[in-house]
Amino acid sequence: MFRIWLLCMLLKNKILRKIFACLLTLLAASFAVFAAFEIIPGDAAVSRLGSNASESAVAALRVEMGLDKPFLLRYFLWLGGLFRLDLGTSYSYGIPVSEMLLDKLPITLCLTLMSMAVTVAVSVPLSIFYAKYARSRIDRTGYVGNQLLMAVPSFFLGIIMTWVFGSILRWFTPGGYVSYKKSFGGFLSYLILPSLAIAIPKCAMSVKLLRSAILTEADKEYVRTAYSRGLSTMEVLYRHVLKNAMIPLVTFWSMAVADMVAGSIVIEQVFNIPGLGRILLTSIANRDYPVVEAVIMLIAAVVVIMNYAADLICRRIDPRIRER
Amino acid sequence: MPQDRSEDKGEMKKYANFNFICGAVICSLMVLMALVSCFYTPYPSTAMDASLKFARPGLMHIMGCDNYGRDIFSRVMEGIRNTSLIALLTVFIGTLAGVIVGAVCGYFGGLPDEILMRINDLLFSFPSILLALVIISLTGTGTLNVTLALGLAFIPSFARIVRSEVRKQAALDYVQSARILGAGHFRVIFAHILPNIVPVLLSSVMIGFNNAVLAEAGLSYLGIGVQPPEASLGRMLSEAQSYLFTAPWYAVFPGLVIMLMVLGFALLAEGMSEGNG
Repeated sequence: MFRIWLLCMLLKNKILRKIFACLLTLLAASFAVFAAFEIIPGDAAVSRLGSNASESAVAALRVEMGLDKPFLLRYFLWLGGLFRLDLGTSYSYGIPVSEMLLDKLPITLCLTLMSMAVTVAVSVPLSIFYAKYARSRIDRTGYVGNQLLMAVPSFFLGIIMTWVFGSILRWFTPGGYVSYKKSFGGFLSYLILPSLAIAIPKCAMSVKLLRSAILTEADKEYVRTAYSRGLSTMEVLYRHVLKNAMIPLVTFWSMAVADMVAGSIVIEQVFNIPGLGRILLTSIANRDYPVVEAVIMLIAAVVVIMNYAADLICRRIDPRIRER
Repeated sequence: MPQDRSEDKGEMKKYANFNFICGAVICSLMVLMALVSCFYTPYPSTAMDASLKFARPGLMHIMGCDNYGRDIFSRVMEGIRNTSLIALLTVFIGTLAGVIVGAVCGYFGGLPDEILMRINDLLFSFPSILLALVIISLTGTGTLNVTLALGLAFIPSFARIVRSEVRKQAALDYVQSARILGAGHFRVIFAHILPNIVPVLLSSVMIGFNNAVLAEAGLSYLGIGVQPPEASLGRMLSEAQSYLFTAPWYAVFPGLVIMLMVLGFALLAEGMSEGNG
C-alpha cells in the first residue's frame, strides 16, 4: 500500500513522471528490438558454425549461447545485462560487445557533439542576421544559398570537401584518421571536416526555421508593447522574440541529434573513421545480432534522452508549457 | 499598416510563384530524364570501353566516363530513374499505411490512439535511414527489401501528420452533418475528411519524397540499396570516391543531380504550400 502511495506521489511530480515515461519507452523499445531479432529466420548457432556442422556441435553451441532457454527468460536475461552494461558476446568476434562499443563510442559521440556545436553556433547568429535584413537583397541571396545547402546530401558534401581540401588545397589528408588515444588534438582536427559535412545541411534547415520564427514573432503584439515600454531592439530581440522563436528550434535540434548520429554512420564511411557506424554496418553484413541490438538500443537511448532534454529546455524557456 | 501587410502578402505570393516555377522546371527535367532513360540513353549504360577510361567531360560524353569507360550521363539518367522509382514506392507505402493508421487514430481517438501514437512518436524520432538499416538487417539487402524497409520507416511521419489533420477536421460541423445524414464512420473518414486534408498531405508527400531520395542515396552509398551493374546515384558516388583525385567529375555529377532533384521537389512543395496559405 505504502509503495503504491509512494509511486503516486512520485508520479505527481511532472519531471519524475517524464523520466518514468522515458524509462517505459526504452523498455518497450528494448522488447521490440529483442523480439524483432527473434522472429527472423535462421539459427545463430548454425550461422556461426556453418551449414555443414554436425548436429551435436550445433546443439552444444546453442546451450553455450543460451539459445535453448525460452524466449521470455532470454529477454529478461538480456535486459538485466543491459543494466550491468553486459551486452552479450559478439557472434563473429567472440569478444564482449560492450568492449567493442566502448572503444568506438567516443568517436561517434565526438562527431555528433561537434556537429551539434557547429549547428547551434552558426545558425542562431546567421538567422538573426537574415531576419534583421528581411526581404532585402542579402536575405534573398541567403535564401537561395540556404535552399541549395538544404538539398545537398551530407555524404556528397563530405566527398566534395575531401576533394577540395585534400586534392586542391591540400589542407587535409584523406583517410589520415588519428586515434583519439594517440593524439587527441589530431583526432579532433581530423573530425572538423566530417562534422562540418553533417552540420551544414542541418544548419541550413535551422536557419530557415529560426528566421521565419523570428519574423512571425516580431509581428506580434507583445513586441509592440515591449517597444512601447522603451526597450531597445536588442533587448526586445534577446529577451522576448528569441525566447519564443527558439521553442520550435529546440524541438528540431533534439530530432537533429538523432539524425546526426544516423548521418555519422554514413559520414564515417566517407572519411574512413572507425566509429559506431562501421561496427553497425559490418555487424549487419555478418548478421552479428548482439552487436546490432546493442547499437540500436544505444541510439534509442540517445533519442529518448534528447527528446527529454528538449522538453526540459522548452519548459525552462516557456512557462506556458510548464503549466500544462 | 494594413496596406503595408497586403503588399507584403503580394510579394510573398510572387516569391512563392517563383519557387513553384523553378521547382516545376527542375522536376519536369528530372522526370523527363527518368522517362527517356526507359527507352533511350546516349550510350548503353553498362557498355564498357577501356579506351574511354576516365574520359574527361566533353562533347561526346557530357559528364565524362567512369573507371570502366562507361558514359556517366547515361548512368546518371538510369540512376535518376532507379532512385525516383524507389523513392516513389517508398512514399506510396508510407502514405498509404500512414493515412490509414493516422486517419483511424485521429478520428476515433481513445486508448488505441494513445498507444499507437506513443509507439509512433518513438519511431518518428528515430532517424528513418537508421530504421531502414534495422529492417534491412532483418530482411537482407536488395532493391525490393530496401524499398520495403524505407516504406515502413516512412509510415510514422505520415501517420503523425494525417492524425493531427484528421483530429482538426473531425471537430468541424460538416463531419457531424455527414454523420446525421447517415454516413458511416469509414465513409466520413475517407469520403468527407480525407479530401480536405489533401493539400497538407500533398506537400508532406513531396517532402517525404525528398527524404526518401536522400535516404535511398545514403543506403546505396553504403552498398545496401541498388546492386551493380544497375546504376544508382548513391552507388556511383561511393565508386567515384576511390578515383576522386584522378576523376573528380565522376563524383561531382551524380552528387549534383541528387542535389538538383531534392532542390526541385523542395521548391515545388514550398511554392505549393505558400501559394495555398
